[in-house]
Amino acid sequence: MPQIDRRDFLKLVGTSAGAVAATGCSDHVTNLIPYVVQPEEITPGIPVYYASTCQECPAGCGIHVKTREGKPILVEGNPDHPVNRGALCARGQATIGRTFQPDRFRGPQVRNEEGELVPVTWDAAIGQLAKAVGERPKGTHFLGSHPGETAAKVMDRLATSIGASRTVFEPFSDEGLRAATSEVFGVEGTPVFDLTDADLVIDFGSELLDTGLSATEHKRQLADARDVEQHIDGGARLVYVGSRLSLTASSSDEWLPAKPGSEGQLALAIARVAIESGNDQSLLNLVSGVSVSEAAQSSDIPAETIERLGRAVARGKKVVALPPGPAVTSRRAVGANAAVLILNAVAGSIGSGVRILPDQSESTKSSYKDALALIRQMNDGAVSVLFVHGSNPVFSMPEASGFAEALSKVPVVVCTSSSPDETTAYASIILPDHSPLESWGDLLPRAGMRSLIQPSIQPLYDTRALGDTVIGLGRALGGTTADSMPEGDFRAALERSWSDVDLRRAKAEGGVFEKLPAGEAPVVASAIDATVPMLSGEGKYTLVAFPHSHFYDGRGAALPWLQEIPDPITSVAWQSWAEISLKTADDLGVEIGDVISIETSAGSLEVSVYPRGGIRDDVVAVPIGQGHTEGHWASKACDGMPGQVRGVNVIDALSPGVDEKGGRAWLTDHASLAATGKTRRLPMLQWSDNKRGRQLGEVVSLSALASAAHGDHGEDHGDHGAKTDDHSSSGGHHEIHEPYDAGDDAVDDSPYRWGMTVDLDKCDGCSACIQACYVENNIPVVGEVETLRVRQMPWLRLNRFVGEGQADLPLGRTHPQANGEKLGDTDVRNVPMFCQQCGSAPCEPVCPVIATYTNEEGLNAMVYNRCIGTRYCANNCPYKVRRFNFYDNQLTKWPEPMHLMLNPDVTVRGQGVMEKCTFCVQRIQAARQTAKDEDRLIAEGDVQTACQRACGSDAIGFGNVRDHESAFYKKFTNKKRGYHALHVLNTRPAVTYLSKVIRGKVEA
Amino acid sequence: MTPPPATPIANPEPLSPEQDSKINRDILAVMSKPTLGYWMCLGTALFLMHLAGAIWVYQVYIGLGIGGYTHPLFWGAYIVTFVFWVGIAHAGTLISAILYLFRAKWRNAINRGAEAMTVFAVLTAAQFLGIHVGRMWKSYFILPYPNQRGLWVNFKSPLMWDTFAISTYATISIVFFYIGLIPDLAIARDRAKGWRKFLYTAMALGWQGTSIQWKSHSRSVLHLSGLATPLVLSVHSVVSWDFAASIVPGWHATIFAPYFVAGAIFSGFAMVLTVLIPVRRIYGLEAYITNYHFDNMCRFILLTSIIVSYAYATEYFIAWYSGVEFEKTSFYLRAFGPYWISTWIMIICNGVIPQVFWSKRARTHIPTIFVVATFINIGMWFERYVIIITGLSREYDPAVWGIYIPSFAELGIVAGSFGFFCTLFLIFLKLFPVIAIAEVKELAIHEKAHAGVR
Repeated sequence: MPQIDRRDFLKLVGTSAGAVAATGCSDHVTNLIPYVVQPEEITPGIPVYYASTCQECPAGCGIHVKTREGKPILVEGNPDHPVNRGALCARGQATIGRTFQPDRFRGPQVRNEEGELVPVTWDAAIGQLAKAVGERPKGTHFLGSHPGETAAKVMDRLATSIGASRTVFEPFSDEGLRAATSEVFGVEGTPVFDLTDADLVIDFGSELLDTGLSATEHKRQLADARDVEQHIDGGARLVYVGSRLSLTASSSDEWLPAKPGSEGQLALAIARVAIESGNDQSLLNLVSGVSVSEAAQSSDIPAETIERLGRAVARGKKVVALPPGPAVTSRRAVGANAAVLILNAVAGSIGSGVRILPDQSESTKSSYKDALALIRQMNDGAVSVLFVHGSNPVFSMPEASGFAEALSKVPVVVCTSSSPDETTAYASIILPDHSPLESWGDLLPRAGMRSLIQPSIQPLYDTRALGDTVIGLGRALGGTTADSMPEGDFRAALERSWSDVDLRRAKAEGGVFEKLPAGEAPVVASAIDATVPMLSGEGKYTLVAFPHSHFYDGRGAALPWLQEIPDPITSVAWQSWAEISLKTADDLGVEIGDVISIETSAGSLEVSVYPRGGIRDDVVAVPIGQGHTEGHWASKACDGMPGQVRGVNVIDALSPGVDEKGGRAWLTDHASLAATGKTRRLPMLQWSDNKRGRQLGEVVSLSALASAAHGDHGEDHGDHGAKTDDHSSSGGHHEIHEPYDAGDDAVDDSPYRWGMTVDLDKCDGCSACIQACYVENNIPVVGEVETLRVRQMPWLRLNRFVGEGQADLPLGRTHPQANGEKLGDTDVRNVPMFCQQCGSAPCEPVCPVIATYTNEEGLNAMVYNRCIGTRYCANNCPYKVRRFNFYDNQLTKWPEPMHLMLNPDVTVRGQGVMEKCTFCVQRIQAARQTAKDEDRLIAEGDVQTACQRACGSDAIGFGNVRDHESAFYKKFTNKKRGYHALHVLNTRPAVTYLSKVIRGKVEA
Repeated sequence: MTPPPATPIANPEPLSPEQDSKINRDILAVMSKPTLGYWMCLGTALFLMHLAGAIWVYQVYIGLGIGGYTHPLFWGAYIVTFVFWVGIAHAGTLISAILYLFRAKWRNAINRGAEAMTVFAVLTAAQFLGIHVGRMWKSYFILPYPNQRGLWVNFKSPLMWDTFAISTYATISIVFFYIGLIPDLAIARDRAKGWRKFLYTAMALGWQGTSIQWKSHSRSVLHLSGLATPLVLSVHSVVSWDFAASIVPGWHATIFAPYFVAGAIFSGFAMVLTVLIPVRRIYGLEAYITNYHFDNMCRFILLTSIIVSYAYATEYFIAWYSGVEFEKTSFYLRAFGPYWISTWIMIICNGVIPQVFWSKRARTHIPTIFVVATFINIGMWFERYVIIITGLSREYDPAVWGIYIPSFAELGIVAGSFGFFCTLFLIFLKLFPVIAIAEVKELAIHEKAHAGVR
């Protein structure tokens, strides 16, 4: 046996221990390269913001892209922008994902003989395209969304030069509204609706709070007009007309569950009553075509209600009626839109609530008629090159229109999508565009507004701006076409077209904004035809295809968070569903998750049902947006099943209907339903909308609020109004403990105790806050399979309760239930639920390793490194706001290049670790640094949490509970409406919820 | 019958069986060459154990997601099975320590088996602490060791108490088991050859059977009994506080400590019966483990069954009487909600079936006892399942209620825990006397002296 002396032994022990320790290090650090030459504008650790414009919908909100060390990490609203004033909806924030799509095209591609896309150089791709265009220039056609002012000009210049044509295609265009504006006022343009200081808002299905004309703007205006702290009478009343309890309906004071398609008649009838009650008599001849009883019959709304609303319109100082949205855009959409405009005119709102403004630029508006004509041309072989940009027509044209079939007859299809979609599957040449955050561009969304789009990151891949692609094509064609192209590249062209303004300032502010003109216009129409539209097919039910609040026209389905964040109404994520009434479900013998077939004259669908009380018995509603076969997130590729469809595309079951002027109609079909006997469980996040009387989402009636204002009530449960009295025996929501001072729950010498307020009267459930939280805090997107197991990771979720709920004990069910809704009832409580940062937190004492503790400023800090994953804290949290990493989300949920957008200020959590909200503690730390530099304390407003910043209606407040002078403290200690969730448990939360105000039905 | 003379270690020749007493021969016969049936049992147990091991390795690699956990249900089959095995571990110490202190002589025939079971059950249970946590590679954080980072553990956490309770109990059980084993090891040593001789010689610590050694031995047993007795009550009390110290409706109850201790003794005795009945039958130990023993154990089971049933009733009464809606809902849904099957299995197996032991005939009819004991084992697993799962699935926020269904991976590891337990027990059968020879002899001598008096 060889002798081992002490030294050898120690060496061996040392080496082996070292080896063990080295292999134990699981964090791989690769290629940390510091700046060799420090860029002037970048200080590592300090974010740089770039102002730009959101292109996820036509509203044109201003955005700030937050970049760190040259990489965009977050998209926020631009506080100086006249449209959104710093807020931004979920879709707008999710636009960052387009830059970091895992399946983005890395460069130009050309389809070879085997039908596979192979990478080529830009010169080769443009050369091939130029050859095809050169052979038959007049057979070239451009199809796509509005590409921006300068790009459109460049494109038009090319098209004119070679004799090609161009069609603007936007699935959710406002063609009906524009046609109606032209008809009623003789003005070509989209009216701008302004709800500022309104006292009655009637939404005829525009879905003004989620997919409407300018949702973020309207949300803010409405919330201000309804603020009960400013308006003791409750402020503006919101009336919603529509067949289902949508997001907007859930926030309304009165919901008229009208038959879809009857909006025009209803609007005219209301206008007629208003005129008869004394409003502008000159318009009487326009509304005389409809009687109240006729409208009552066609809309299935009681005549008394119509009369009451008509009188309310007559009484109102500022009444704004919003036109039908896509879901109720029927074959008579122009008539319906005109009727709504007439109602506005009768109410005297033209020029204040409704601004009739002419278009700023030519040929930017979508034309469905031209798109349908294009299909005929393609079928006739008149199109040899189709250049598709910025849109996905194969997905968004109805199957019955024959677009896809016609497209396959086109010899050369060019696509500029930056990632695969249904249309690129038909493309022979792919010339990928930059993502929105890599692009230059400009828009003229409305009068007095000129918006700039500027990049915030160098293009990640070998992509090229659409404008440069077009210029390149023009130059490759040679001759006069090449001469007609602008000098230099697209950016140079853009800068030239902005040469009349201070571009540097425009870049800093996101554009040039002037005051919105009043937009007064006289009514020139002589008659309004608002007859009820005909629907195709036989079936018993009306098929309502409605825009999904996250997917819009389907483009949002490509973004991970918009798929992951559940629909605010049904809490379904990653899937399609069909909403039917409880009675319909009984008739069909189906329960939630059972698959039904929906047959129309144009096609059929098989989809899981979501029976609910809040939908008409004669309606089946399916959201638009799912059913993609391509795309990493849109199809099932992210669940490891490439090419698998996710959900159903309801557009394929619609007839290609048009309205009176050739605009696109969505409300076109009758449907017959049948149970299939199959079941496909819906991935849902919410178990039940029955609150069981527990203190989780409270309401207060306007009268109780008024009496509380006189000091009759302190913070006792009596002021929760008559609604709660019915269930006073159910326990749970009584404030049986003495009110505590949340300010106590921090160490004595700390100047801060952080707290939050959530105003449930302002929250409409749009989920923008959830989106902000996901991106700010590096929350992983887990996918459909894990969502089915309810293992999503949101730190902030939306509880949606209907009414006070029933505490009597129903038999247990093994699947979620959601049937507390009633037709016409709008007592919906949207409750954002996140860590309450309890002063006496149940999660803390149970952790054996002190991985969670109250820090000196009263936050429930979470030490990810210390957590061993016993999960006791999550069991003991009554609010259930803790989320556990069941898998290694850190490694698996951030596919290349998504890791580039991780927020460097927030740890990415690994396998087996618990995580939760800590009030954006990284933002508090950033504010602390600034305050320290300036030798002061953190002031109110220095810290804005991500959710607070995103909220369009300013429902979320954040501040220091120890700062008794602050406006936040006043809100936090609101005696009239404030309550703490599950106060009975005495967890001493640092979050005050302000009860939703029940304003009651609109008074005549 | 005289005790065999203590043989010096130096004696090179083992005793031949003919020279030996009947008790020695009978009991040591269990340790003879294994039969095919034994190998099959051991093979099955080893297979289950390794299957669970493989699943566990995969789980460590991929994450706890392979379990059936969902958002509101963060604990599942692992914790259920952990509590189950801790409960099983109770009968051994109860029989050895408490019945020893009460001088209940009938314990002598069964205490060795029960003690072995206790040790193995505690070892099985302890593994679940590692299996359950999300980052088992960091589970040493739970130990209060001095470190440069200045980190300390949270002594307020019931999981911390649990760690200490289980480790203390495991230590005491092993020491108790080993001390009791020493005289028998000496007997085995004197008859063994080859590696067994070496093993027993080392483990017998030079036992000679001298009166000084016997005196020390009985002193040790007495003192250890005194130490172990409070542990019997404390361990499962502490385990119950894992739940009772929380605020989860259905967990947060003051009755939990006595309720869990009674349940533990109940399940422990059932498991002793489940294990000993086949052993007795296969190895022909009817002369040592008699109807008298079974009768006594069944009486214990009957008593604890009644206590447990009373606890069930109390839980429901308090849920109703308190008027707290959270509790009422939780308990209502426990009985009539999605988990009603588990609840009724629990009530029938633990509350109803054991009532047959009111009959003396049932208490002495071995097949009946075996069947009832099996039902109790099932019922007690479901009791923990009902408490943990229904409690978590119906908490404060109805928007995030949920349903937990154990996954195959979890069930595999649960099955593997039985494999692990059986493996240890089967090896124990062949390695050590399953009945405490010395104590049975003591009893035999005692009986002889007071023939007919008992």
